[in-house]
Amino acid sequence: MTQSADKVLDHFDLFRQPEYKEMLENKRKNFENPLPAEEIERVREWTKTADYREKNFAREGLTVNPAKACQPLGAVFAALGFEGTLPFVHGSQGCVAYYRSHFSRHFKEPTSCVSSSMTEDAAVFGGLNNMVDGLANSYALYKPKMIAVSTTCMAEVIGDDLNAFIKTSKEKGSVPQEFDVPFAHTPAFVGSHVTGYDNVMKGILDHFWNGKAGTAPKLERAPNDKINFIGGFDGYTVGNLREIKRIFNLMQVEHTILGDTSDVWDTPTDGHFRMYDGGTTLDEAANAVHAKATISMQQYCTEKTLNLVAAQGQEVVSFNHPVGVAATDRFLMEIARLSGKQIPDELTRERGRLVDAIADSSSHIHGKKFAIYGDPDLCLGLAGFLLELGAEPTHVLATNGNKEWALRVHALLDSSPFGKNCHVYAGKDLWHMRSLLFTEPVDFLIGNTYGKYLERDTGTPLIRIGFPVFDRHHHHRYPVWGYQGGMNVLVRILDKIFDEIDRNSNTPAKNDFSFDIIR
Amino acid sequence: MTLLSEKLQQVFEEPACAKNLAKSGKERKQGCTKQLTPGAAAGGCAFDGAKIALQPITDVAHLVHGPIACEGHSWDNRHSLSSGPGTYRTGFTTDISELDIVYGAEKRLYRAVKEIIDKYDPPAVFVYQTCVTALIGDDIEVVCKAASRKFGKPVIPVNVPGFVGVKNLGNKLAGEALLDHVIGTQEPAFTTPYDINIIGEFNLSGELWQVKPLLDAMGVRVLACISGDARYADVACSHRARATMMVCSKAMINVARKMEERYGIPFFEGSFYGIGDMSDSLRQIARLLVERGAPDDILGRTERLIASEEARAWARIEPYKQRLRGRKVLLITGGVKSWSVVAALQEAGMEIVGTSVKKSTIEDKERIKEIMGDEAHMIDDMSPREMYRMLKEARADIMLSGGRSQFVALKAKMPWLDINQERHYAYAGYEGIVSLVAEIDKTLSNPVWNHVRAPAPWDPPHAPVAGM
Repeated sequence: MTQSADKVLDHFDLFRQPEYKEMLENKRKNFENPLPAEEIERVREWTKTADYREKNFAREGLTVNPAKACQPLGAVFAALGFEGTLPFVHGSQGCVAYYRSHFSRHFKEPTSCVSSSMTEDAAVFGGLNNMVDGLANSYALYKPKMIAVSTTCMAEVIGDDLNAFIKTSKEKGSVPQEFDVPFAHTPAFVGSHVTGYDNVMKGILDHFWNGKAGTAPKLERAPNDKINFIGGFDGYTVGNLREIKRIFNLMQVEHTILGDTSDVWDTPTDGHFRMYDGGTTLDEAANAVHAKATISMQQYCTEKTLNLVAAQGQEVVSFNHPVGVAATDRFLMEIARLSGKQIPDELTRERGRLVDAIADSSSHIHGKKFAIYGDPDLCLGLAGFLLELGAEPTHVLATNGNKEWALRVHALLDSSPFGKNCHVYAGKDLWHMRSLLFTEPVDFLIGNTYGKYLERDTGTPLIRIGFPVFDRHHHHRYPVWGYQGGMNVLVRILDKIFDEIDRNSNTPAKNDFSFDIIR
Repeated sequence: MTLLSEKLQQVFEEPACAKNLAKSGKERKQGCTKQLTPGAAAGGCAFDGAKIALQPITDVAHLVHGPIACEGHSWDNRHSLSSGPGTYRTGFTTDISELDIVYGAEKRLYRAVKEIIDKYDPPAVFVYQTCVTALIGDDIEVVCKAASRKFGKPVIPVNVPGFVGVKNLGNKLAGEALLDHVIGTQEPAFTTPYDINIIGEFNLSGELWQVKPLLDAMGVRVLACISGDARYADVACSHRARATMMVCSKAMINVARKMEERYGIPFFEGSFYGIGDMSDSLRQIARLLVERGAPDDILGRTERLIASEEARAWARIEPYKQRLRGRKVLLITGGVKSWSVVAALQEAGMEIVGTSVKKSTIEDKERIKEIMGDEAHMIDDMSPREMYRMLKEARADIMLSGGRSQFVALKAKMPWLDINQERHYAYAGYEGIVSLVAEIDKTLSNPVWNHVRAPAPWDPPHAPVAGM
């Protein structure tokens, strides 16, 4: 046998050994009753046709390879952005393990989050006891400054009332009366992770601003010159928020980042474990009510939040994940308008550098066709940037995009001749995308790590931009916002374009006639 | 260095050089090399010129005798493509050190040649002299001769240290090396009345391959291309060709002229750029071959090919003409390209607002006048500052130039397209002109120029970014 105790082969090598190859082949032949190879091939080819695409798009009940996550994931993301805050998910513990691993696999950092560990009896009798015990335990064990409560489906299905439960818990002494326990209902069967982000962000601000669930007086808003900034659910939050802070500081604009996750998922390795690091302080969160205005970088992550903010009398401005020159221009000009501050030369120079870089490389991107999938705001931002580069965002797909979003993408595509033959797909999944890539092929696919199956299947090279990115490390450290961020996105796209040129010309004596040093 | 200085004088006095013809005897003695202005920006050296002229010979080893940088910077940097061997892409150098400078590096060079022959066994080794090894007195000619004798294999000295002058001089001296040591040293297996040489074509981005099918269709065999996608044996046999087409006359006119003198091979200057020039070149090839005794049915065959190829190219350019008509082009390039590209662009309906004639001969200039009329805006030796002003004033829609002027164009906020060696697309032949027009169209319509032209929206004068 190839496998022996003396030399144990791992998964890379084991099944490539002759014994296993033979065994698998025999198993297939003798026991699997396989269809003839030609039949398999015929069906495989058929799934690439327009006929199959039609049937695929006629799907009603089944979602295959969805490009979205659930509300509580966004809820945990939003909660982590506040100082010393422990996200507490009322519901089953398995869900919470998913959120933690999901974030840790993307950011390569631990993610602190607990659940009320509801079990079958809790589902029958209600989760109050789990809430009472859970808050007491997590307060005692992890010593947070705030516990932000959200829910999983289980708690939502049985209809647990968070407001009442938290009140009862406090009465029973789980946490001190004045301890901050904001909450939001975040059922996974409604919306997606961007909705969950919105609900928790709104829940936390509402808690601080509107009397802490009836336990404190409402804050009187005394307007000042500060500007609040909300990033939304963002896989590049570490790099992006640092970049945004740099921009605000360069412009000398007093600001509050609401939900500052930049340090949470980027703690140094120096011998100290930081269960909580960075984050918007609770005072800042409370005082944010006085700000002049609030900017949201991702409209679809903050729809309810911005309603709440506007109701306080602030001006609200929202963007759709701006990437590139024109989009960043609009963002900076809004900051300038709201703050009355000038855009400094340093940023103007960065702008010029990005324009320069785009001009230098324009001929390689010009006219290339892209398929994009991801969250609604990200899709809008990237599609806008591609149009700016003279590329064609042929397919734009968001599983968690709605009709209104589709109209916005339409309007964006209509604004440029490069958007002419491009289409938007709201509520579709990655199996739909597969049909699109076969029937209307593009040069490149932009999406998260799960796009690698599409890349393998359809041969469309994948450019990893989105969340989650599990199989490449540290992308989250590089901003995609601001001119510097635009530069990073540009380089990532170009790298793939050149990798492809090389890949298609690197077989010696076969196709290496164009294998070249300079591109 | 007597040999080298003699060579230099010969090249300076090149009788076929149009520029030379216009000079007085005294001027001719002074040489072609314009004295460089210390402190002013300058182009590549003679070594670089020699290296780029010969590097496209694909199956030989190109060994640079000198400190690391000479090979380091010239290593495989020209997009000159090969249809077979890749030996030319391996960077070989003696990488000399301080001790070599003290004690001399001839032995090191000899060992390097030996190692190449042991390990790679190429049909020949080209050895390039550089400034440092020339200064310390290393005699590469002697070393090459000894190595050649010892290993029974051509070892060709290319004695062109950088300090002898500019890049163009290096091109010509490289040609001299071929004339002295390579051309005429082997015999072809067979010859035909349709054998030609193409000289001064380097197969950059595979341009030769866009022309070759046309020659095949005419029934013409390229005996040797000097030096694009060349094999050593082809170059060695090239003296048996019936006619020569001289493509970049600036680089290797001496080779064509001396081959005519030595072997009686007539040559003409032609270009593969533009529909009209391409057709003229094919006609000239056919005409010269017939003059040398080839059956004259090739003339009719060539005309039929031209007619069908031209019709096809025009049809493919037609859709662009509408979009490009009246767009103004500024051309900053050198030599032969200045007029042949002009004709090509005019074919696509564009207007040429100026063309540089820095490296052009008087003959080139005459041709430009012919094509563009007397009011042709010819730009001589131009500093980047002047180029910038010119770009601003000319109000052209696009500039076509080499990579080095790119940044001037961008500073002047002009769309820019690379038409020199570092580009990725091939523009030669009927196929190439369609590509060029398509690339110009793409460049003109790229949305980035809106950003390039407009100031940041918060900077005065307030000009909103159009389009995206």
